[in-house]
Amino acid sequence: MLNANEAYNCGRCGLCLTTCPVYRQEFDETVSPRSKVQLARLVAEGRLAQSPQLMEVFSMCINCGNCTAACPAGVLHGPLFMRLRSLLGDQFGHSWTMRLLFHLLTHEQQLLLSARIARFGRNVIFEKLAADLMIGTIKLKNTPHMNREPFRAQMPPVINPEGAVKGTIVYFVGCATNLTFGSIGWAVVQVLTTMGFRVVVPKDQVCCALPLIMHGALEKARENILTNIRVLGDPDSTAIIVDCATCGSALRKEYKQALGELGHATRAAESLARKVFDISEFVYQHFDLIAPYLINTPEQPETVTYHSPCHLRNAQGIKGIVEQMLSRLPGVKYVPSKDSESCCGAGGSFCLEHPDITKAIAGEKIRNAKATGASFWATGCPGCNLNLSANLEAADEIRVVHPIQVVARLLRKDQ
Amino acid sequence: MISNKTLSKLRKVLDPGRIKTDAISRSAHSFDGYVVEGVPDAVVFPTKTEEVSKIMEIASMDRVPVTARGAGTNLSGGSIPLKGGLVLCLTQMNKIVEIAPADRYAIVEPGVVNADLQQALSPLNFFFPPDPSSYSVSTIGGNIAEDAGGPRCLKYGVTHDYILGLEVVLSSGKIIRLGSRNVKDVTGYRPAGLFCGSEGTLGIVTEATLKIVPMPKARRTAMICYADLDDTAKTVVSVIGVGIIPAAMELMDNTVINLIEDAMQIGLPRDVEGILLVDVDGAEESVDKELAQIVEFARANNAKEIKVANTSAESDALWKGRRSVYGVLNRLSPTTIVEDATVPVSKIPAMIRGCRGIAHKHSITLSILGHAGDGNLHPCINTDTRDKSEAHRVEEAIKEIFQLAIDLGGCLSGEHGIGLAKSPFLPMGMDTDSREFLSIIKKAIDPCNILNPGKFA
Repeated sequence: MLNANEAYNCGRCGLCLTTCPVYRQEFDETVSPRSKVQLARLVAEGRLAQSPQLMEVFSMCINCGNCTAACPAGVLHGPLFMRLRSLLGDQFGHSWTMRLLFHLLTHEQQLLLSARIARFGRNVIFEKLAADLMIGTIKLKNTPHMNREPFRAQMPPVINPEGAVKGTIVYFVGCATNLTFGSIGWAVVQVLTTMGFRVVVPKDQVCCALPLIMHGALEKARENILTNIRVLGDPDSTAIIVDCATCGSALRKEYKQALGELGHATRAAESLARKVFDISEFVYQHFDLIAPYLINTPEQPETVTYHSPCHLRNAQGIKGIVEQMLSRLPGVKYVPSKDSESCCGAGGSFCLEHPDITKAIAGEKIRNAKATGASFWATGCPGCNLNLSANLEAADEIRVVHPIQVVARLLRKDQ
Repeated sequence: MISNKTLSKLRKVLDPGRIKTDAISRSAHSFDGYVVEGVPDAVVFPTKTEEVSKIMEIASMDRVPVTARGAGTNLSGGSIPLKGGLVLCLTQMNKIVEIAPADRYAIVEPGVVNADLQQALSPLNFFFPPDPSSYSVSTIGGNIAEDAGGPRCLKYGVTHDYILGLEVVLSSGKIIRLGSRNVKDVTGYRPAGLFCGSEGTLGIVTEATLKIVPMPKARRTAMICYADLDDTAKTVVSVIGVGIIPAAMELMDNTVINLIEDAMQIGLPRDVEGILLVDVDGAEESVDKELAQIVEFARANNAKEIKVANTSAESDALWKGRRSVYGVLNRLSPTTIVEDATVPVSKIPAMIRGCRGIAHKHSITLSILGHAGDGNLHPCINTDTRDKSEAHRVEEAIKEIFQLAIDLGGCLSGEHGIGLAKSPFLPMGMDTDSREFLSIIKKAIDPCNILNPGKFA
């Protein structure tokens, strides 16, 4: 039986269609959030059969949360859709790619091994033999190189700042930084230590499991959630920092919800959530600690624009803050892109399952970002980063970076 | 049920991928903003006029009911396929064909979203005045079918005031074109008079030539709070009575104010009985003068607190709650029934008092908001349809509200349409001969009664 309590709050006003990136591409009510809420209700009332087709309809969702943010009736779409996906997944099974992903994300050692194989494939084989290979609609050569060594393996367990220690930061390194975006990890550590913080990278941390939670594979996510709560919960730390919008949304919001659904106590997840901050948000809140170390008079100010990740804006309520942080950087001319708050269409596995929709959405974002004339396009989500950079053309001069990399570039050389 | 023969005919004129007969797509098109549901036999997504024409030809030959649908945000059940058949979904015919600022028109396909048109017009300093609360998602085709209004229609008029020409597919499949691109044109019957507000019962609009209007140079918003709801209505009457026509004058009562505050925390005062939200627009010099006069009237009518927005961001903030009100009301109970009985402006105080009396008599939860400036009130009833005894009281109360509006010289619906919600009450608002006149038109244009059957006409 499906619990569809959330559906009964839906007034069917249709305002959620306004900013749903999938509806705005398809213009078919079937895939709209309002329809999915009603379909879930019909399933719960036994008026609509569960079917693989229904699973397909519910796969047409980027999990951006724009619907929930726009809903005046306060419908919580996330848990409702997650429950239905779980029900359908149990019955009809997930695709082999999703099953493989679930397996790897819950088995850290095998994940690291497959990353090594992928690195060899990506960096050695494809580079030489298959330069024009496409994955869906993405050119393989537009995907980033993978880290030589996992970032966490490169880190000592504790990194001390020079001079007085202002506090201890527990750094949660998501899979993307760990396996692919090592340079973002370095920037995080460099900025935090410059600010005077000791950085601790717990070595037993595992994948945040958000992809599993979103797909309703809660049972599989359970161990990861409990492990992370245990290894991150250092009572003496100042804060737990994440550089990934999606991991942040898991630690801050979804762990509590998921443990509740699984029948666990949620108090530990709640106290963990209170200590978690996104790195850009943290720098904004403690800007006075970094300001003295920034180059004050850059020869040429860099023009930077921003893409607001949905998992930062909708799931964590970080709205307008990263933009303000960027504007305060002395060497940066921040120019907003007109659709900086619209979803980029990536959504984890969504872009693999529905590449055409993703490409259309990303194309529009790229046009608007290029119109700002920026040379850097900052975004604090590896999914958005990967998607946007992969869809850029070779001739495009704009480069996608993490906001913390913009900060790190401006650190004085004597630091 | 639709026959396989009809379906195979449809597959010859429309890409089979655009004909959906699966249970999921059909369920997804079985509802709109109203409470009733009706499941269609198939949903079709045409992309051009010729396809609509061929679909109608087949439907007409095989006597299949056809219900046109845009974004499905109407509040009267206009797009619910009560008798099954086809839902003709026009959301994918969504191109803006032409915008001609010098000639003051825009040509659009029916699926163009109202807000997308506004966004295209804005850099040219033009706008399209109808602004239903659903404007960010509702389509121009839907706006035309429902003759949509909205807050600023107080000054600018409703959708039918902005139709220059229409291309319409009739039930037979014939394509007709009425009106033109000219602001002045008296060749033949006015297309707006026939098709605007016909709720898809007379034809399918496949292209519209709309009148567009230069954007006013300045806008000011004031939020005026009152300890007595009657005083809001009195202010409206005095302002309009001296000849000031604000762009919008919205009223919200205490229940609505508190619900918005619960949901959005935007700083509305929870203890006041009524709020008037007033927009004035026009030339820079005139807006301040008009606003000052309105503030004076408000004070004379015992206003407690007055907040003025000077920037468009401040205005938008004041409007935010009002825009979300229907969804917010839904937090109160599983079902919200939004009525839109309308009365002459001078009768607003009587109408508000009357509605409250009716709610009290039947012990139902009723809140009042609406476009007070043009007498278009939205008494909202929060209920749970599973409670049979309450459902009966609600029914009685609605009937009395309509009777009250009619007695005050008003009408059944200002902008939401008759649809399913109000068709039983039509005799209260129209006598037999007048209703017969409507059916004669309907029979002449749609002899087989396949266009949105079961709706008002």
